[in-house]
Amino acid sequence: MTTASDVLSSIQSAFPGAVLESKVESDRRLWATIDSSKIVDVCKHLTEKLAFDHYSGAAGVDWIARNEMEVVQIMTSHGAHQVVAMLKSKTPREKPTIKSLANLYWNANWYEREIWEMFGINFEGHPGLYPLLLGDDLVGAWPWRKDFKGYPDLTTGKRAVERPTADGYTEYFIPPTPAEIEAGTVPIKLKYPSYREREEAEIKSDAEMIMHMGPQHAMLPGPFLLDILVEGERVHKAFLDLGYIHKGIEKIMENRSWLQGITYTDRMCYVASLTNNECYCGAVEKILGVEVPERAQYIRVILEELSRIQSHLIGTGEFLTLIAGVGYAPWNFMIIDRERIISMIESVTGARLTHTFVRFGGARNDLPEGFADKCRDALKYIESRTKEYIELFNQDPIYHMRMEDVGALSAETAKRVGISGPPLRAAGVAYDMRKEDPILAYPDLDFKVITGTKGDCADRVDVRLREILESVHIIEQCLDRIPSGPIMTETKVPKKIPAGEAYYRVEDPRGEMGMYVISDGGDKPYRVKVRGPFYATLQTLPPLLEGVYIADVVAIAGSMDGCPSEADR
Amino acid sequence: MLKRKMLMNWSWPLKIAREVEVTRLYPEVMMELPDAERGLHELDATKCIGCASCARVCPNSCIEMVPYRYGNPLKNKKMQYPQIDYGRCMFCGLCVDECPAECLKMGKKVTMAGWERDEIVRGPEKIAVKKFSEKEEQALEAEAKRIAAEKAAAKKAAAKEGAKKPGAAGAAGANNKAAKKKTAPAGEGAPASKASGKPSEKTAGAAAEEAKAEANPKVGGAT
Repeated sequence: MTTASDVLSSIQSAFPGAVLESKVESDRRLWATIDSSKIVDVCKHLTEKLAFDHYSGAAGVDWIARNEMEVVQIMTSHGAHQVVAMLKSKTPREKPTIKSLANLYWNANWYEREIWEMFGINFEGHPGLYPLLLGDDLVGAWPWRKDFKGYPDLTTGKRAVERPTADGYTEYFIPPTPAEIEAGTVPIKLKYPSYREREEAEIKSDAEMIMHMGPQHAMLPGPFLLDILVEGERVHKAFLDLGYIHKGIEKIMENRSWLQGITYTDRMCYVASLTNNECYCGAVEKILGVEVPERAQYIRVILEELSRIQSHLIGTGEFLTLIAGVGYAPWNFMIIDRERIISMIESVTGARLTHTFVRFGGARNDLPEGFADKCRDALKYIESRTKEYIELFNQDPIYHMRMEDVGALSAETAKRVGISGPPLRAAGVAYDMRKEDPILAYPDLDFKVITGTKGDCADRVDVRLREILESVHIIEQCLDRIPSGPIMTETKVPKKIPAGEAYYRVEDPRGEMGMYVISDGGDKPYRVKVRGPFYATLQTLPPLLEGVYIADVVAIAGSMDGCPSEADR
Repeated sequence: MLKRKMLMNWSWPLKIAREVEVTRLYPEVMMELPDAERGLHELDATKCIGCASCARVCPNSCIEMVPYRYGNPLKNKKMQYPQIDYGRCMFCGLCVDECPAECLKMGKKVTMAGWERDEIVRGPEKIAVKKFSEKEEQALEAEAKRIAAEKAAAKKAAAKEGAKKPGAAGAAGANNKAAKKKTAPAGEGAPASKASGKPSEKTAGAAAEEAKAEANPKVGGAT
């Protein structure tokens, strides 16, 4: 098996002098600073020679004290080995420019667009650097830079000024300060074609038209705009716009203490808040070097698996309401079943959805008395119900006519587009963070990675339902094995986390969730980058919709089990 | 005519107001909540020490420390107790975890509908589940006053002592300096502090500090 040090020596021998700094944290983590002129070649080398076929994301970091910016490329492999290579490339802060990887990896497109609009790092050779998450008036302000003063800039004492536009509306305008005018640093409004202009440019003939789905559409629980270019019933092209509920959680967390950050991870995606908690706390624990007591590990595993069950139940139920013409809609039944799981979680955490449960080095509460018996009862019930659902789906001919071979992703395509979670596993790729990057008590537990064969809508739903059964199996093992002992580490967690950085991955119900946390030794995080699963999944949606019928659009989008709130974090 | 009609219209709601309610609770029994439930806060005012760590840790800064009478003046000298703005609270429970005196808890009560906006800002009198009665409070206040008076008397006495020996405060300062400079070469200061400072060091130091606090220009100048 390839280890991190093998990867490092391979890069060093292929590109002498390209690795400026390097650190092998463990067998699974490699940190390397690469000469920014060679980053594309190094990535190419990794993909071709060392089977790094999964471009997992990119993070921008603003090092204002060192007067430079950094782009961290996160490279992994789909099961060939378990190394995560964090490749940093630096660029001066004045005119930050880095070569784009979008031509090498298709899914680098959105990650680079996000870094561009947030940090102002220009990506050379990117096919279309248009804003994705921010509103038009914020583009050019580079809000995630450390010297961003806020919007409107309240440090100057000037608020936005109202002024009427030509068409009779009122717009708000922030006048530049005299100092800014003198220094010549007045932000220039960037010129680029708007989203509407871009999609209208694609209309080739009079037979085509654009249909808007969203942002307020029942397709997914959360607003995002999906515009489809249709000719008759066929979709020719799809366009996606995000940012309707962009919360700037990564920036907020930079301004909150380490402990307060946990509450914000809850609110990225409320149905998966426990895994988000786990991801953030795990990253901080990694920086601290704290070992979680065994009982706390088991409690965390139990709750995260319960959370996965409830997420899959609501995801599948919602999907069924979207394709409501099927003849039956077990949405109500799934919600009733989910209620039992939710009350199991509530009896431990004290909250129904936003749990704020995981703590640095442990968990907030111990399991209450009689939890194991109640949980076993609930699990037995869920297991029998899930089997019923699987049978229901299998024997319904209309459902199969509607769902089979719709929105199919082959294994190759799924790997290339960087999708993760159930949509990837439905395509037959056994890629699960619980196996790839085992955390907590997962290495001791016996479970399978559920995979499908065809990667179509029916398969995705089937994978989710079978994952519920697997989660039930995991929780039962945990309940049998859970040891007694403390639930928090004995070492006191300090208010100030020592300087360091960590990348931590967990298996969210929706796929690969990773957090890249940097500490500069202060009482607040220096940077928290969230690599969410649904951001990657949404990116694959437009190409997947090309050539399908309008009726299938909702089915395909719904089968992804999305949470735009998390993509728009 | 119109007036009469209007009066009739007005009389109708007055008439039905006395009748039986038609709205009823559904489901008829409230769901049973677990012990771990994070509902509305419950404050044990007899234990609270007014450290404001709950207010500091709150991510939404919805806790404000306000004066309240029925607490323990022996533990909480400034008599400051948390007031929670439920318009902002997100029930994360960090305040409960941080509380060093374990006096802030979250209970099973979750309904907080009110008629006015002010009702969601709940002061200590609303969130306190345990507090002292008027009588106990008076006794405690008297006790606190007595202790304060004793302290003041001690302070006065110490100040007098300091005034009697004008060199004492200065000597104390020298002693402190010597104690701080651990690595300093053993000179005249170190033996002096050992010989003379030990028994009276504390009182002299305290006297100097109190003198400073009182902003006595004479002694302040001396130190």
